[in-house]
Amino acid sequence: MLGLCLVSGKALWLLWFDNKGLERKHFPLPSSSVIPLCCPKNMNSSSAQFVTSRRMGVYDPIQQMSMWGENFKSNNNLNSSASLIVEDVKLDSQSEVASHGISGPSNQYDQEATKPVDKTQRRLAQNREAARKSRLRKKAYVQQLETSRLKLNQLEHELECARHQSSYMVGGLDAIHPGFPGAVNPGITTFEIEYGNWVEEQNRQIRALRNALNADVPDMKLRILVENCRHHYIELFRMKETAAKADVFYVSSGMWKTSAERFFSWIGGIRPSELLKVTCGSSQINVLGPQLSPMTEEQSVQVGYLQDACLQAEDALWQGMERLQQTLAETVAASQLIEGSYIPQMAAAMKKLENLVEFVNEADHIREEALDQMFRILTIRQAARGLLALGEYFQRFRDLSKLWAARSHEQA
Amino acid sequence: MQQAIPYKSWPPIHTKAQQSFSLKVDGNPLVSPPKVVLREGEDMLNMVSENAVIVFARRGCCMSHVVKRLLLGLGVNPAVYEVDEKDEIGVVKELETLSNTGKDGKVLQFPAVFIGGSLFGGLDRVMATHISGELVPILKDAGALWL
Repeated sequence: MLGLCLVSGKALWLLWFDNKGLERKHFPLPSSSVIPLCCPKNMNSSSAQFVTSRRMGVYDPIQQMSMWGENFKSNNNLNSSASLIVEDVKLDSQSEVASHGISGPSNQYDQEATKPVDKTQRRLAQNREAARKSRLRKKAYVQQLETSRLKLNQLEHELECARHQSSYMVGGLDAIHPGFPGAVNPGITTFEIEYGNWVEEQNRQIRALRNALNADVPDMKLRILVENCRHHYIELFRMKETAAKADVFYVSSGMWKTSAERFFSWIGGIRPSELLKVTCGSSQINVLGPQLSPMTEEQSVQVGYLQDACLQAEDALWQGMERLQQTLAETVAASQLIEGSYIPQMAAAMKKLENLVEFVNEADHIREEALDQMFRILTIRQAARGLLALGEYFQRFRDLSKLWAARSHEQA
Repeated sequence: MQQAIPYKSWPPIHTKAQQSFSLKVDGNPLVSPPKVVLREGEDMLNMVSENAVIVFARRGCCMSHVVKRLLLGLGVNPAVYEVDEKDEIGVVKELETLSNTGKDGKVLQFPAVFIGGSLFGGLDRVMATHISGELVPILKDAGALWL
């Protein structure tokens, strides 16, 4: 006899076959219950699962196997008898169902008739185990909630401070907090939360890189770290792209960055050429001193070309921006009150503003391409050092901003 | 280079607006690239195949300004075809058939850059190839640059 559970959407179905494979009993259970299965006699656990799933034609065997596998690992005593244990976080009707299910096809238990006590004991032990695990999971979840709550309070506090600061500035309210009076942009809120998480993950990756470089780990391990870091930056670009659609001015003016970083903001982020200077730091480009020693002659040349290309791209993009500013200014200046409304010119002006999204995206595109090209030029070790330098650079600016904010608070 | 060399020695009969090849090839921002004006029955295929580099863009579009500036900065003299809003759909269709873009479901977007007679791409592609260093060789191959 084989007992089996299927996870289907929200409902958990308990399926039973008797040893003839004919009779079936279905017990609908609430979704929170998990049913680990002990293997039947003379079969090891994995093949039992396989056989059952094949017999059952289960549509998601792998998921269930992994789920069962987890439970199997925790249950040490896989014995010959088939029994079913239901673990439930919420309801207490489970024991009813379980006992009903177990007692159903009874002829299977003939061998077991002599030791029902053992079986009960085992069942109870497994139940205890499962209950303990669910308590641990609950504890972890609650802890996660607590930290999120703390973070939320922190964010709210920061918002309050910023609000107070901005109210002292003449006419600055709109500029600093667009849409602040009441209106909340969900896309931007999402971005802020995601960015907070991004920064935390970034700090973790920087630590990992630093440790790896200090410990002089082999290139293979470094490669993994470098790839992770790279994908992390790409993730940021995607986040920014989405946020730009929600509120392009928020992204382009660098509102999402800390204050000191914002000082260097160029169309929604760092200048691509600056990016290279920080990452590469070779004597040729010369901002933060040699970070990548040694670079071959060819590498230096290639980085030089890349730097030039970045500057040209920046220049072209900036000229486009200036053109946009110019045409927008002209449109707005030319707008006249026609029968009490500005509508025709404002519509034109709105269309022009939409172009800003493209500019922000293009600026990020250049940053992404520049990073890609750097990875092509540099070795893994050099790339790791470069990423570390870049990460630390931003980290230091974030710290500087915090110091500055603290100083402002003291003075205020 | 003080004077741009016309890239093809056309007999002077051709009435394209590329007479202004006396432009300095140093990206002088005061000089605007030659503009090609649509004439009745103008053959777009001709324009695309005769110009080493041609940019199709909406009139007054700032993104196309970026492309033009970038190409000028490299020393390229791109022909520019400015499209009015009313002509846009027709031009897009024609260009798509020209370049076989419509087939794979891709839509031609402005600004559209044609290099050496075939569709190269939009601003994204131009930027990406520029950063990776592939743009200049491509331009040289197409005869848009001599250095």
